[in-house]
Amino acid sequence: MKKILLLLLLAISFSGCEKDDICVDETTPRLILEFYDVTNPTVKKNVSSLNVIGEGQTLPLAIFNGVSVIELPLKITDDMTKYSLILNSTSNSITPNEDFLQFNYSRQNVYVSRACGYKTIYNLNSPNGVTRTDPTSNDGYWIQFINIQTTTIDTENEVHIKILF
Amino acid sequence: MKYISKFYFSLCFVLLSFFSNAQKKETISKDSIPHKTERYGLRLGVDLFKLTRMLYEDEYSGIELVGDYRLTRRHYLAAEIGNENKTVDDDQVNFTTKGSYLKVGFDYNTYENWLNMENIISIGLRYGFSTFSQTLNTYQIYNPNPYFGEAPIITYGEKVDGLTAQWIEFVTGIKVKVINNIFVGFSFSLNHLVYQKVPDNFDNLYIPGFNRTYDGNFGVGFNYTVSYFIPIYKSTVKAKEKKEKTK
Repeated sequence: MKKILLLLLLAISFSGCEKDDICVDETTPRLILEFYDVTNPTVKKNVSSLNVIGEGQTLPLAIFNGVSVIELPLKITDDMTKYSLILNSTSNSITPNEDFLQFNYSRQNVYVSRACGYKTIYNLNSPNGVTRTDPTSNDGYWIQFINIQTTTIDTENEVHIKILF
Repeated sequence: MKYISKFYFSLCFVLLSFFSNAQKKETISKDSIPHKTERYGLRLGVDLFKLTRMLYEDEYSGIELVGDYRLTRRHYLAAEIGNENKTVDDDQVNFTTKGSYLKVGFDYNTYENWLNMENIISIGLRYGFSTFSQTLNTYQIYNPNPYFGEAPIITYGEKVDGLTAQWIEFVTGIKVKVINNIFVGFSFSLNHLVYQKVPDNFDNLYIPGFNRTYDGNFGVGFNYTVSYFIPIYKSTVKAKEKKEKTK
């Protein structure tokens, strides 16, 4: 009888051996953009009501205001992602200015852990990692210069691209 | 975390019951029968736990044969050989592990039997070796920012052969003679991985014989065996030896 009880206890103890881990590792990174002042390229500059919409999306990713760093998710099913960045989108006094940024890259799926599975890391093409276009040519670009800091995008802990405006 | 604490809690219960069994040792009296003979031989059996797992686990098949040979009054040479085929369907990955394993080691019987009893409460060590293949069937990219939609499930299906693993097991178990030469028993093992060859860009999340892998090279195992004892020779237990033991 005691032996049967023991076996039962063991059986119960093993029923608790289910997957119990949750994903805590860093997985698919976003692209980190940092904004600098074009008149003083070592000084960070905050964007004002910057509306960011991914190509083909109806809802904006976010409207960034008063920040100098923004994070853009890249497509994990395509080798390019295009964003529309509208500066001063909600301003009454300044006319909004829209520029397109297209990021061209290659992808790699890397194993992380049991709970996280795989992540995608990116490698920006060199040259033409980032291309800038303007839908309304008469208002000019608000993005003046694009400096790619690193072509390897495998963590969100560093700035990948610096933008001067 | 809830499952882990549940597991350790019930594990404590199991270990406690071993202590209570061990108390029986003290019941030996000095004036026991002087010429006691004990049987030596080979015990062969099968793990019923793996066989029953096939009934309630959809994508599992496995078999394990166990055997031990009595070397001395208390020492047994022990081995397990088995084959497993398991498909694991986790949230992010779905994979199939196939392979065979061999475990060799010894058991030490801590139980002092009464006359004509041949029960075993053992502690032991094993060296385990497994050769297997891993097939990553499907996987999903973990994307914490699904602005462009949820990550699709990617079908992969590449099989990686020639993987190996080696580990050490600390085993504790009991075997009880039920009728004649038939024994039933179970054992519980704590495994520590010492070597593994992992597939490129993946991991050994399950190893035949070692079972599920955890962080820190740690694993657990369990078997429930029915075995048949083949007696080979008998040996008289020396009275002198017994006297020393009881003091």
